[in-house]
Amino acid sequence: MAYTYLITGATSDVGTTLIPRLLNDAPADTLVLAQGCGDLDKLAPLVQRYPGQVCPFDVDLSDRHKVDAFVRLLEQTAPAPTHFVHLPALPVVNTRFKNFDEQRFSRDLEIQLNSAIAICRVFVPKMAKAGFGRVLFIQTSYTIGCPPKNTAAYVIAKSAIGGLVKSLAVEYAPKHVTVNCVAPSMMETHFLKDTPDLIVQAAAADNPMGRNATPEDVVPAMAFLLSEEAGFITGVTLPITGGSAIV
Amino acid sequence: MTEQAILEAVQDIFRDNFDDDSLVITRDTCADDIEDWDSLEQINLLTAIEKKFQIKFKLADVRGLKNVGDLLDLVKRMVG
Repeated sequence: MAYTYLITGATSDVGTTLIPRLLNDAPADTLVLAQGCGDLDKLAPLVQRYPGQVCPFDVDLSDRHKVDAFVRLLEQTAPAPTHFVHLPALPVVNTRFKNFDEQRFSRDLEIQLNSAIAICRVFVPKMAKAGFGRVLFIQTSYTIGCPPKNTAAYVIAKSAIGGLVKSLAVEYAPKHVTVNCVAPSMMETHFLKDTPDLIVQAAAADNPMGRNATPEDVVPAMAFLLSEEAGFITGVTLPITGGSAIV
Repeated sequence: MTEQAILEAVQDIFRDNFDDDSLVITRDTCADDIEDWDSLEQINLLTAIEKKFQIKFKLADVRGLKNVGDLLDLVKRMVG
């Protein structure tokens, strides 16, 4: 079976690290449908490196109509995805709950949750019909145990993702579609651009391994959960934390 | 830069952060004296001070700060 990976948030540091991991040594008919938003230039080196295998799409996932149009476009022009990896989120904002920005939170929910639901509603049943599928989300170690203070919007949205994962996992397990998520601790990527450096340093110092996570720490676990051999693993949240959050 | 000048600039940052134009800080002022001064506000204060004085704190520099006096001494050492 030729694999088609649909990766939303593919322009993120995790996305651009994951794509080569999936395509290196893969059959030539392996395809990556890679969504970004206004930053497809980040995919240019991968498009060049894997000619015809990385198809970029510029879609604003905060706009429901654009998400629906994107899904229709994929249905009409691309093979049905065998794998769906959903990575997008707005950067964490550290703020007290009294300053909770409801408008920004709604936008984040559109990007993180509602777009995933819309995409899953179309493509997961197709995976079920095919008798094979892998769905993978990126959560956060903040949802394991006691979250840090002042990250309510992020924790709420990521917790909703956890609910989606579990719900889809049980419903589609009989059809051999697995649904999982990885939960990294603080990962040093562009995603932290709005996080004060002292918070980043403190997270690294407090981690049992003395550093923060990197995409290179997380991507191998993602690749495993997306692999055929992980077919009996579903509904899990896999912490990738250096020991800073343990289930 | 004199300690008084640093204190005045830091006081402006405290007033702005805690949204209190009448706030007066001294060397002895500590987190127990200001209701909203928690770990997040500490980071916000330090980030604003970094910006104001064009310095970059290291975590080890700021973890042991007990009061405003310690903070002023640290800033003075860093700005020279």
